[in-house]
Amino acid sequence: MREPVVSLRTYTLTWLALLGLALATTLIGLLNLGPFSMAVAILIATAKAALVVAFFMHGKYESKLVRVIIAAGVVWVLILVSNTLGDYITRGWLPVPGK
Amino acid sequence: MSKLDSVFELKSPDELQLREQFSTPDQQRETAMVGMWIFLITEVLLFGGLFTAFTVYRVSAPHAFDLGSKDMEIVLGSINTAVLICSSYTMALSVYYAEVGNQKLLMLFLLLTMFVGVIFLGIKFTEYYFHYLDHKVPALWFEEHSSEAPKIQLFFVFYFIMTGLHALHMTIGLGILSVLLFRTLLGNINAEYHTPIEIGGLYWHFIDIVWIFLYAIFYIPGLHLK
Repeated sequence: MREPVVSLRTYTLTWLALLGLALATTLIGLLNLGPFSMAVAILIATAKAALVVAFFMHGKYESKLVRVIIAAGVVWVLILVSNTLGDYITRGWLPVPGK
Repeated sequence: MSKLDSVFELKSPDELQLREQFSTPDQQRETAMVGMWIFLITEVLLFGGLFTAFTVYRVSAPHAFDLGSKDMEIVLGSINTAVLICSSYTMALSVYYAEVGNQKLLMLFLLLTMFVGVIFLGIKFTEYYFHYLDHKVPALWFEEHSSEAPKIQLFFVFYFIMTGLHALHMTIGLGILSVLLFRTLLGNINAEYHTPIEIGGLYWHFIDIVWIFLYAIFYIPGLHLK
């Protein structure tokens, strides 16, 4: 029998960290941070997702091939969001000739 | 003696559940993992498109989307977030007990994961019911008197589509877990071969990650307005 990939202790610590971060998200949400409230919530959510992928989904322990695939997914979402917003947010920054 | 022979000498392919196109159990496992992760990336494309659309409309109407977010059931939503994190934990423990070959605890934690998953869906539909009572269901019964009404309605359209798609994934996840439970019951899962449990676990954790982001974008921005 091989050793389990991740120990019970690591799973439990991950679980507690996720619960703690979820609580932090809610408490910080009660404050009025203006435009930053969404940014902070997304930032904490990303940290939680990273914990889930690394430990619950064994991402930290998988082969390089699997890790490249995971990274490709993250990069793809970044391209999608940043390029789309790059279009929508910058519309109206410059006048359109003839309009 | 080749690598292949040494594998077959120890155990018959049947016992190892090794399919003939693979040289080693490790190779077979890795192939399954790569396949599952690629599938999950296609799921990222599916939800990623919705998240991007939501962000574009939020950027164009931040105040209206905050007002919509104010009407979320924050207590139920927060409880549900904790519930789903707990179900991910029990799923992780299922994988752990599959790896050590403890079938009884594996089945117990699979059942527990399903039980907690059903609780999540129950709370989710209770939320939907409250939105219905609040007249906040677009197309069915939507009342809003502020000047931002159309944009707030758009917020709720996103809310129902995205959490609905998430709930659908949860339901499929429950189906997958039932199959895994059945296979464990038949004795197909052991310390040497438990890839199906790992694959099912990946799917379940992925659903958890989607919810983590749904919670952040729908429930949090309007919280300070309550």
